[in-house]
Amino acid sequence: MAAEFEARDFHARGVQIRNLRVSYQTPQGDIPAVNGVNLSIAPGKITGIIGESGSGKSTLAMALMNTVPRPGRIISGSVVVDGIGDMLTIDKESRRRAHGRHLGFVFQASQNSLNPLRRIGAQVLDLGRSHNVKDLRALIKRAKELLGKMGLNADRVLLSYQHELSGGMRQRVGIMFALVLDARVVILDEPTTALDMLSQASVLQIVRQIHQERHLTTVLISHDMGVVADLADNVVVMYGGELAEQGSTEEVLAHPLHPYTQGLIKAIPRISGPLDQAVALPGLPPDSAALMAHGCLFAGRCPKRLPVCGESRPTYESVGQGRYVACFRVAGHD
Amino acid sequence: MSVAESTSVSPKTPRVPSGHPTFIHTAWRVIAKKPGRIVGLAIILFFALMAIVGPYLYPRQLPINPNAIYAAISWKYPLGTDFEGTSNLALIVTGARYVLFAAFMAAIFTVVIGTVLGLVSGYYLGWSDSVIMRITDFVLTIPGFPLLVVLSTVWNFGQPVAMGFVLGITGWGGLARAVRSQTLSLRERGFIEAAHTLGLSPVHILFKEILPNIGSYIAMNLLLAVTGSIYAEVGLFFLGVVPFQVNNWGVMLNLAVFSAGAMSSVQALPYLLSPLIALLVLTLGVVLFLDAVDELFNPRLKEA
Amino acid sequence: MQILIRLGKRILAGIVMVLAVASFTFFLVRLMPGNPVAAKYNELILRGMTPVQAMDQVRMMYGFMPHQPLWQQYLLYINQILHLNLGRSISYDGVPVIHIILGAAPWTIILVLTGLIASFVVGVLAGVIAAIKRTSPTGSVLSLSGSILHGIPQFVMGLFLAYVFTTLWVIFPFGAPYNAALTPGLNWPFISSLVRHAVLPVATYALSSYGGWMLTMKSSVITVLGDDFILASEVRGIKMSTQVKYIAHNAILPLFTVFALSIGFMFGGSIFIEDIFDYPGLGNLLLHAINSRDYPLMTGAFLLITAAVIISNIFADFLYSVVDPRIRR
Repeated sequence: MAAEFEARDFHARGVQIRNLRVSYQTPQGDIPAVNGVNLSIAPGKITGIIGESGSGKSTLAMALMNTVPRPGRIISGSVVVDGIGDMLTIDKESRRRAHGRHLGFVFQASQNSLNPLRRIGAQVLDLGRSHNVKDLRALIKRAKELLGKMGLNADRVLLSYQHELSGGMRQRVGIMFALVLDARVVILDEPTTALDMLSQASVLQIVRQIHQERHLTTVLISHDMGVVADLADNVVVMYGGELAEQGSTEEVLAHPLHPYTQGLIKAIPRISGPLDQAVALPGLPPDSAALMAHGCLFAGRCPKRLPVCGESRPTYESVGQGRYVACFRVAGHD
Repeated sequence: MSVAESTSVSPKTPRVPSGHPTFIHTAWRVIAKKPGRIVGLAIILFFALMAIVGPYLYPRQLPINPNAIYAAISWKYPLGTDFEGTSNLALIVTGARYVLFAAFMAAIFTVVIGTVLGLVSGYYLGWSDSVIMRITDFVLTIPGFPLLVVLSTVWNFGQPVAMGFVLGITGWGGLARAVRSQTLSLRERGFIEAAHTLGLSPVHILFKEILPNIGSYIAMNLLLAVTGSIYAEVGLFFLGVVPFQVNNWGVMLNLAVFSAGAMSSVQALPYLLSPLIALLVLTLGVVLFLDAVDELFNPRLKEA
Repeated sequence: MQILIRLGKRILAGIVMVLAVASFTFFLVRLMPGNPVAAKYNELILRGMTPVQAMDQVRMMYGFMPHQPLWQQYLLYINQILHLNLGRSISYDGVPVIHIILGAAPWTIILVLTGLIASFVVGVLAGVIAAIKRTSPTGSVLSLSGSILHGIPQFVMGLFLAYVFTTLWVIFPFGAPYNAALTPGLNWPFISSLVRHAVLPVATYALSSYGGWMLTMKSSVITVLGDDFILASEVRGIKMSTQVKYIAHNAILPLFTVFALSIGFMFGGSIFIEDIFDYPGLGNLLLHAINSRDYPLMTGAFLLITAAVIISNIFADFLYSVVDPRIRR
């Protein structure tokens, strides 16, 4: 029965997102949270998605699983995961089986992602039974292996309740849950945001290590440019529910094209450099009125705005190998 | 996620404006939002008016009419008459003062005792907290209504204030505990330390900073205490353990059920239904109005 | 072990509380205007008893004598309580109060326990449905039913049911717990009479407590549905049936304590119902005692009503520490 886990396919899986729209229904009308996103997530790579609070990055992550919580709703689009199909149109049961088994999801550490009334071990078994795992003993063994690799006392953790674990421990347990069924695609939503610096570093280290060992396709969502720069192969910048720029991490860091990206990079506080060189981005994320308007979403805060920026929105276009940007300032736009 | 992030509330210290013309303005805007709230307010005002002017509309000794005992509903007797031929409407109107005044006093006593003890307990912690909470536990443990029944043997419930006092003194436990836990949660959010560093006095912190933040909760409880007290006092009179020296809806209920046989004779039915309907309409008014109070005093709802 | 120490402390605190209530009732009766104890003594003397006889009689009824100093009377009384002796009834011609109370208690227990369980089961189920379907008309109708029934006071509900089903349509009998013509025992006519007489009182209790359960369960389920771990279990592909189990387990937990507490409040919770339907339970007994100025009986009934609450408090506390791992330590 161990064969269940031995027969791993080492083909990493990619994800193609096409024209994805998600909106939140409010009494004031629908507010778009993800607005026509097209994105290919490269197999076997770590893709970092970065943006401010309210940029729609977490909504995008939930939409990848087709589990956008109310009052959010997926309006249109497709999310095709290699070997599974379109997450948005497959039947409910196949979708449920894909969750956990093929797509692992790690929540923000501040969220309590575990049932407070059941021991961790019992919840691992619940997970196994939900996915028809025949050999539950082997499953527990794998869980222990993963926990041990992350530096936890596995036997103790499995016998614990959520409230008996610290934030850093919980986050590692969350990673274990995402991986224990051998998911090939792992989405981490702000995995380190609520952790202290030391736990943060160690969780990131674990993510990197496991990603390499298991040929995962990893999506790392963060508001912290430093974290993304440290870990990701590719960077995707989100702003106001739309993509602003993407490219390989070195490219984007070295030659940011979008004024927003440039602002984000300037805002990274460098421990070595003088603090006054870190420049906070002025202004606020777009409000619902700006989201509905015709102009570029960033126009209100943009230091380099052109007259055209207030009138129409720049399209998201390719400007080289794997390099995309939505800005009138960049060549390729008229 | 993204929406939740952007609307997350910050624990500011919103001041509840009082006595200011703008407050009345805001209040009216909130109430006018839903027709149910206006109806609720209208019902409450109607009964309040009845309690204030009602007794002046009728002679001190209500007229009896031996020719109209258990009279049917008519123009002269809009709600019929009782066993002496007294108009039920007159009984309801004159009885409203005791019912409402006692309930109002009870709510005031409940809220004042509960709030002060809860605030002090949650603010000072330490020994005063444990003493107050011990007492609160004790008050919460003793079943309230049986206690009232027993107290009726020694206590003179003839005056509404006396009734209100006893209802308040037996009913503050739940509120005190809730206010304490709310105060504690404000403390956890760094409220109190922040105010301390600003050099504010405890009285200022308690009543100017913390109280407004739990104002909504207290206002809701004030109204709930009113309905609860109305039930309790009318119930006491209905059971007949309190001497019938005053006019009260509960007295009407008691006499209708246990003396007039309203349960078996259709004739006396209006005598039974009059106080019941008054009671239910008043409750309906309070319940409808609660919604508006919640929105008015809840800083979290106001910001949204 | 730690649980046992905790439990022991709670029991000790409970005993202290019972004694405090006993002291309260002692001083209530003793300091009552017109001092009923002294009055009884004088009355017995007037009936021609010798002072010794009268004093014995008074001591049997109240547990203390009017001529002793207050503190001595108090100690005698407390000592008696500790020996579960609640004195003798005045209106029942010297029958020990504890016998009368134990005779009345089963009626209240049957009445309230049946109503409590029925309202709990129906209310919790309705609350779950109301929470899950809260945006649909079904949910709104259920919530409204809860709010309305919760708002109607028990005596209004009782009068309403009594009027509709015993006067308007004579479906159920009114008054008395069973047909007095029948011989009590395990025979069919008696049991069916018992049940038919109990329907309306039980229904009154159940209907007026249903709303509370429903509304509490609804808000509890809504809270749990918004919890992160429910979304997390969906994202992990946990089976629907297991998810429902997670939700139910977490949502019903806070209601368990309330349920345990309600059992404690049962003895004092049906005074109106017993009064309206003339049901011979503890509530009726308390009213009878007050109306006939039978103070030993009144004190005893009140003491039992309170003791039940204290015991169930301890039980609820203990239960909670067993079912909720977060409390266990």
